[in-house]
Amino acid sequence: MYKLLNDPINGGQAQCIKRLADNAFIPFDPANTDYQEYLKWLAEGNTPEPADEV
Amino acid sequence: MSTIAVNAITDASGGNTASINGATPTTDNTMGRNRIINSDMRIDQRNAGASVVVGSGAFPVDRWFAVEDTDGAMTAEQVEDAPTGFINSVKLTTTTADSSLTTTQTAQFMQNIEGFNVSDLGFGSASAQTVTLSFWVKSSLTGTMGGSVRNDSANRSYPFSYTISNPNTWEQKSITIPGDTSGTWLTNNSIGIRLVFSLGCGPSRLGTAGAWNANNNTGPTGEVPVIGTLNATWYITGVQLEAGSVATSFERRHYGQELVLCQRYYWAGSGSYYSSMYSAGAFVYIDLPVTMRAIPTATYQSETGSGSISLYTTSGRLQYLDSDDTTFSVTGPKADAEL
Repeated sequence: MYKLLNDPINGGQAQCIKRLADNAFIPFDPANTDYQEYLKWLAEGNTPEPADEV
Repeated sequence: MSTIAVNAITDASGGNTASINGATPTTDNTMGRNRIINSDMRIDQRNAGASVVVGSGAFPVDRWFAVEDTDGAMTAEQVEDAPTGFINSVKLTTTTADSSLTTTQTAQFMQNIEGFNVSDLGFGSASAQTVTLSFWVKSSLTGTMGGSVRNDSANRSYPFSYTISNPNTWEQKSITIPGDTSGTWLTNNSIGIRLVFSLGCGPSRLGTAGAWNANNNTGPTGEVPVIGTLNATWYITGVQLEAGSVATSFERRHYGQELVLCQRYYWAGSGSYYSSMYSAGAFVYIDLPVTMRAIPTATYQSETGSGSISLYTTSGRLQYLDSDDTTFSVTGPKADAEL
């Protein structure tokens, strides 16, 4: 499972996602293998938890 | 100035290349010829030698990944059991046997080599170079074992085999592999070559040793599966993959050099890192010791902020932001950009 994050500096959505299993911050970098796994997870029809309300 | 133009320089016996000022000018002297990182299993940033359960994937030492999806189970660990000239190896132990592996089940010990580090080999082109794999291995089992060399998409495979002649005895093996002139082999920061040592695999993952094919093979037909025998052990160290058809002597690298090579893929900070104030909270900046292969996934063991923290990463820096406090610290940060 994953959770979307807010960007507390610039506003909007952060350019990373949180993997809830180990609280890892995964950057939106196509070369990052954890991000590749996240994209695969999304492609399987899953949806991340929404970011906390600001 | 004079020039020597001859076809060969031999020693007095006529058989070997002569030495010049005590050094033999062969590829033995070329630094960087070994494309494997942490070849002698010295670096273990994640576990400090502790045993790990292999399961769906674990790094018992840096850069080396163990994985199995069988009905059995294995552990893997860095140990101080090695042939002369080495101090460490990785030991894999079967803790639950699976002697009837099906279809695509596999147990593997592997390293994914970054494309930048094998781009000169020319795989996937008419000029693909021959490479030679050498390593030290020891097992409680005897017989045929093996592995494979694959591309990133795992649609080009070269299964190889070797024979364990004596149980529980270190043996050095050497396998020469012709370069693959077909398929797509990446030459960037993605996976250039997948080097796999098979510890057992199902029929769909087995292939004929000694030939390239277009399948996803991880082991050679007829291999003895280590995961098929309870308490079976398999050790490995001194792995070298180099251009050419000869296994040269093992390339020695300083510990610090090897550590930095590993930290391009994984970095673990020790202790606590303290923040600087910022107008809307506090930041902890950590400059990484080497630019990582990609922007890393970052974690930490604990932090002292009152609320949640956010993280901004580049391939050279971790930046933890706490917008709820004016000071905080982060303990046990880690950055992972493994292949």
